[in-house]
Amino acid sequence: MEPPDADALVMLEATAATPANGVARLLPIWSRQIETSRRQTEDAIIALTDRFSAIVQRIDAALSAHGTGSQSTETGSDAQHSRNDLALVIDALKAIQLSRNELVGQIRTLTTYTAELHKMATEVDQIGFRTNMLSLNAAIEAAHAGESGKGFAVVATEVRALSNAARDTGKQIMKKVGLISEALGQIGRSNEEVAARDDQAVQASDERIRCVLARFERSTAALTASAEQSHTESAAIKAEICESLVQLQFQDRVGQILSQVVASMNDLTTQTAQSSCAAEAAQLATEHAERMMSTYTTAEQRLNHQGIETTSVEQSAVTFF
Amino acid sequence: MAKRILLVDDSASVRTVAGIALRGAGYEVVEAANGQEGLTRLNGERIHLIISDVNMPVLDGIGFLKEVKKHPSYKFTPVIMLTTEAGEDKKQEGRAAGAKAWITKPFQPQVMLDAVSKLVMA
Repeated sequence: MEPPDADALVMLEATAATPANGVARLLPIWSRQIETSRRQTEDAIIALTDRFSAIVQRIDAALSAHGTGSQSTETGSDAQHSRNDLALVIDALKAIQLSRNELVGQIRTLTTYTAELHKMATEVDQIGFRTNMLSLNAAIEAAHAGESGKGFAVVATEVRALSNAARDTGKQIMKKVGLISEALGQIGRSNEEVAARDDQAVQASDERIRCVLARFERSTAALTASAEQSHTESAAIKAEICESLVQLQFQDRVGQILSQVVASMNDLTTQTAQSSCAAEAAQLATEHAERMMSTYTTAEQRLNHQGIETTSVEQSAVTFF
Repeated sequence: MAKRILLVDDSASVRTVAGIALRGAGYEVVEAANGQEGLTRLNGERIHLIISDVNMPVLDGIGFLKEVKKHPSYKFTPVIMLTTEAGEDKKQEGRAAGAKAWITKPFQPQVMLDAVSKLVMA
């Protein structure tokens, strides 16, 4: 509490001829004290309001930078895109695997053809053998015929040579077919081994991709939840600050009431100073009180004037014309 | 394009509270600290709605409202009075001067936004 204004009290004692004059001397002091308090409150509230306003703007900036709603959607969309892309990779690997399996099937078909070729080469050899037997019999018959069979013996000899050549060719074909068959068999076995390894690799890749995606989705879900919580908390803090700002409106109302009190005290000081006796001062005070009614701006000022206690202030009444 | 609102009040804290609410609702806000400053602002901006206090220094809200209604470009612009004045006489004075709505302080921002939305669309 501030000490009394000593100079003012000395002046009051020296000059106060009547109680009215004494009050008139005190009024300017009270007026100045009230005005100082009003000004200090106003300055503090304005500074506080500016600070709150700056905090609200920073929260707004942070909220718009987070943009959590769209962010969580984007994260979900990214995960879906990643899943789709990796599924395409697996599909491509499976397509390669399928092509290899088709190749293995074609090689198996070729192997069956080589068996047929081997059979045909064996038949060529048999035909050569039987032709050889035939030419041998023909040579024997030509010898029995004597001089007249000599020409036929030459033909039988040539036929025998041809049958031997056919048998040799048949054997060579069988040998080559055997080699081809063996090579095809080896290729087929190698392909099957590679295909089996490919199957395992594709399955392992598929499994790993699923694991990576699951971990990624767990991480993004946690991040999204954290961002959403942060957004919710920030919005709640902003709402609290905005509500606090609304409450600070009391300064405007209190300021108006105090301004009216100061103006009224100054007015009364001037009038009382002009009065020459206590009766005149009392009359002036009564008239002044009546005039004060027209200078009030709030409902509680009017109620206070009438001696009715004011408990709360009604908020936000709106009237449309 | 965002609607532009002229906010006239000698209380910086009230201008801040109302300004945050209006800007948050997507309006552009032009501020003035009294009626005279408000009239100056009218000449430099295209204003779609005016919110004005009543008790202000230099030129009060009712005087400002009367000047607005004489202005050729703003005579039909809706004006909301935002004031501690709750007396019926004062309200009727505001109505006679051309105000479209009267909101008493302290106000909840949403009440003000609802009134602004209703009048700015009209």
